[in-house]
Amino acid sequence: MDHTSSGISVRGLTKRYGEVLAVDHLTFDVEPGKVTGFLGPNGAGKSTTMRMMLGLDKPTEGSVLVNGRRFAEVEEPLRHVGALLDATSAHPGRTGRNHLRVAARTNGIPLDRVEEVIDQVGLGAAAKRRIKGYSLGMRQRLGIAAALLGDPEVLLFDEPVNGLDLDGVRWIRDLLRGLAAEGRTVLVSSHLMSEMQQTADRLVIIGRGRLIADASVDEVLLGLGRRHVRVRVPDPDLLAQALGARGVTTHRVGADELQVDGCPAESVGEAAHRLGLPVHHLAEVDQSLEHAYLELTASAVQYHGHTPEGALT
Amino acid sequence: MSTAVLTRTVHAEWLRLRTVRASWWFLAAGVVSMLGIATIAGLEERAESGGPAASAWLAAVITTMPGQFAFYGLVLLAVTADYSSGGIIPTLQWTPRRMVLFVARTLVPVVVATAAAVLLALAATTLVWAMVPEFTMPWGEADVLGTVALVVGSGCLLSVGLGFLFRSTAGGLVTVFLVMLVLPLILPQFGYDWMLDIAQVLPGYGAAYLLFGEDMGITTTWAVTVLAAWGVGALALGAARLVTQDADN
Repeated sequence: MDHTSSGISVRGLTKRYGEVLAVDHLTFDVEPGKVTGFLGPNGAGKSTTMRMMLGLDKPTEGSVLVNGRRFAEVEEPLRHVGALLDATSAHPGRTGRNHLRVAARTNGIPLDRVEEVIDQVGLGAAAKRRIKGYSLGMRQRLGIAAALLGDPEVLLFDEPVNGLDLDGVRWIRDLLRGLAAEGRTVLVSSHLMSEMQQTADRLVIIGRGRLIADASVDEVLLGLGRRHVRVRVPDPDLLAQALGARGVTTHRVGADELQVDGCPAESVGEAAHRLGLPVHHLAEVDQSLEHAYLELTASAVQYHGHTPEGALT
Repeated sequence: MSTAVLTRTVHAEWLRLRTVRASWWFLAAGVVSMLGIATIAGLEERAESGGPAASAWLAAVITTMPGQFAFYGLVLLAVTADYSSGGIIPTLQWTPRRMVLFVARTLVPVVVATAAAVLLALAATTLVWAMVPEFTMPWGEADVLGTVALVVGSGCLLSVGLGFLFRSTAGGLVTVFLVMLVLPLILPQFGYDWMLDIAQVLPGYGAAYLLFGEDMGITTTWAVTVLAAWGVGALALGAARLVTQDADN
């Protein structure tokens, strides 16, 4: 039963709602000391997976262990796992401070700690106001405060930057990096790929409930050929022929320029050198994670929007 | 079930209950209805000065009959507000042991509401006794407060159980009003035996019998059994839904 003793271990996790298979035999690990981005199109099953991690939804099959234990067995869960799933999930008539005090009481956390996390998330001035008067960004901060309350080793955040302004986004980015640097396990879902590119060390990408990729950000970018090389030589056809003989794909992108996929710049330069071709330009071009992600999940997108004809003209 | 975890959860539920205005509004409704009715009754009796001596404890049962519904609303909302606001998500993250949450969330509002009902019944009695010189307040009849506790406590257990079962304030309130007031009042009026039989197994019929002790064709044992069965039955169904189903689906 003890898949791994630290971090989050997901094994064969499946959730079915009637005819709908929301999560389909997911298996992956979330390691300590890293920010793991959890990505997927709308309806991919990210939130359902996170809810099952926290025992909110019961898996149809499979299991999730957090630090080697089922979440529901943990006696003081806030001291082990902090989570923000839905910032709007709080009684609107209660003040922010009392919301956190209830959380602290349930886990035997001293009430002084409530004031600390209120200051940490920057809600000091609003703590005595009722939650119904909070903006979405303030509710996100309140949810993050609750997640941090027990100083836990494992943290789960579902779309934590929703509703935050630029300062807030920077703050959450630094917070996530800082928490991982302290050796904590951090799992964060987001639909903002650029944000994940800057924040995450590792990515778990799912679509239609299935695992599409479980790799580092670099592996996702490079392994899919999204990082390519642009090279300018006097005889690009000769270089393309030589690279093609080694199974490398090239595309002509200019009169004397080639795009080379899935091959590092050093190898392209050496190939040109062996052919005696002078290299006028050689550069590795990173494509965005967003581009890689869209290609990865293209067949897994459940809900497509349609642009009316002529709308963009 | 760990005593320490349960104790902490009970403290949290008490804090949760007293930090929302709705709890105080329902309590205020209980105060206004019970003491208001007691005041009106006292004024009427005093206007007929020189009437026969009577026990002021009658005020306890007369005011409990309408006042009980404020307490059912209070305890029902203590359960269902978490479902309507989505608060059940953080609640179950903080207390993932669902039976612990169930016990604490049943215990705290039911004890608070029942204690408030008993205190208000005593206050209503004292008010009428103070207003009407002919009325007496013999302590030998104070066991009526036990009856108030039994009726309101059972009704609160039923309401909490329905709250966990339906996860909806409207559904819970409608059901409580139907089985505690409307159906026990209306069914016997049609004159059919089978309708009376149905009324006699409803908790409101037993509650009315216990409060007023009139000849209603049932015994005290029957009334207590019916009230307890409805309370325990609703709690069992509510607990089963909380423990076996997803948090808020």
